[in-house]
Amino acid sequence: MSTPDLRPGPAAAATAAAAKPAFSPFATALRFALRNQTRNRLAGMLLVAFVPVWYLLMLLMVGHQSLEFRLFATGRVLAVDGGHLTLISAGLNALTLIVGFAVFDAVRKALAFDRRLVFAGYRQNTLIAAKILSVAVVAAAVALYTAVVLLAFWRPDPVGWLAVLGGYTVSALTYGAFGLLLGVLVKGDLEGFFLIIMGGLMDTFLQNPLGNPLANKPVLQWFPSFGPMQFAVGGALGHTALWGHLALGLAWAAVFALAGLLIFHRRTRSCS
Amino acid sequence: MTEPPSRPALRARELHKSYGRHRVLRGADLTVAPGELAGVVGENGAGKSTLLQILAGTLAADQGTVELGGTLGYCPQQPVLSDSLTVAQHLQYFAAAFRLPDLRRGEELLDRLGFRQYRDRTVGELSGGTRQKLNLTLALLHEPDVLLLDEPYQGFDWETYLRFWDLVGELREHGTAIVVITHLVFEQDRFDTLADLADGRLAVRRTSTGSSDHVHA
Repeated sequence: MSTPDLRPGPAAAATAAAAKPAFSPFATALRFALRNQTRNRLAGMLLVAFVPVWYLLMLLMVGHQSLEFRLFATGRVLAVDGGHLTLISAGLNALTLIVGFAVFDAVRKALAFDRRLVFAGYRQNTLIAAKILSVAVVAAAVALYTAVVLLAFWRPDPVGWLAVLGGYTVSALTYGAFGLLLGVLVKGDLEGFFLIIMGGLMDTFLQNPLGNPLANKPVLQWFPSFGPMQFAVGGALGHTALWGHLALGLAWAAVFALAGLLIFHRRTRSCS
Repeated sequence: MTEPPSRPALRARELHKSYGRHRVLRGADLTVAPGELAGVVGENGAGKSTLLQILAGTLAADQGTVELGGTLGYCPQQPVLSDSLTVAQHLQYFAAAFRLPDLRRGEELLDRLGFRQYRDRTVGELSGGTRQKLNLTLALLHEPDVLLLDEPYQGFDWETYLRFWDLVGELREHGTAIVVITHLVFEQDRFDTLADLADGRLAVRRTSTGSSDHVHA
């Protein structure tokens, strides 16, 4: 099968050379990718309403009982305020669901349209770069909002709060990348939502020792939220900066993003 | 058969395509000259959309070749649009894809197809007919040399339908080769050639409109 010439031909190329394109491909793709990911009203409502309500419910449920939390990098077991620990865990829980859901929904709905754009001449790498950047922006914004709302329930010291923000941001990036992977991989909405909800709930729930028999066990290290949770708790409650664990969270994000983008590349290429 | 005066705009040879055991195309050939308007007809399920997708490069054939003599515009049967973007934003997105220097052609098509009033509305709010107008506009935006249209007027009102054919007439005069999938018997005289897809092959016949210098399969 020969390859049809889907790119602008000699005439169009001459026109393009003679006059500058009116719209930069990257800036245009980034602008519209951001618009797509921020148009999800349900995700917006969840962000505004669910995050504070979830913090409040979890705090009311747990109170301020003392809990033991193991910092795996140092081997220290911290005796911490269970309410504070649960707030960090609740924030991670809420933002993983919201970011994963918003990115999954946007990527899945746009896939056929992205393919049409590629056939019209968009470079796949340009669309991919715009998608990565838009996921990063959305993830960072949701993480910042979630960390700011936390202040209504608990005021850690500024460095501790920054550690929570760092953990939230990396976790949001991980679940943004997970949403991207599912968006290009699964066929139905239901499968994607189910995987994000179950994956996010299980992952973040297990990191909290509250009533959890797997708490502080090495098996936790194999879950995506492990690194961000260790970094956030280490910084906010243990006065320790566990950069390696933050990097571990970023590695999860990179693996999900890479897998998702490879599949995106494959699903938007020409069949001829 | 008359020899083409110039290189064909589109030439497909020996296209084969099966879905499992169901052989949809069994050696379909089609050649279209610049300025020629070819209609593809056939029963439901005959493989017309499969043929057009292969010609457009959005679906892989099992066997066969497709050669294009220029740029391609493809209007799929189901509008492929983004519900969260406005009509104007679609024009900008595809202008970026085609690296167009301005939106003049897009703006002109909004007027020609009569949907300028929806320019700033998101696609999710539009009726099926207006979505189809935008679907068609995106295929025409870069003034392609070869145009593949899969039932492009579904949902059009009568006036828009007539405007569509005026537009097609102009494109032909400018040398665009056009392939349209059609079901409508009454419009078949509009085509230079009609390619009847049956048993996975195309039987091409000239209509009374067809001029002698057009290429046939």
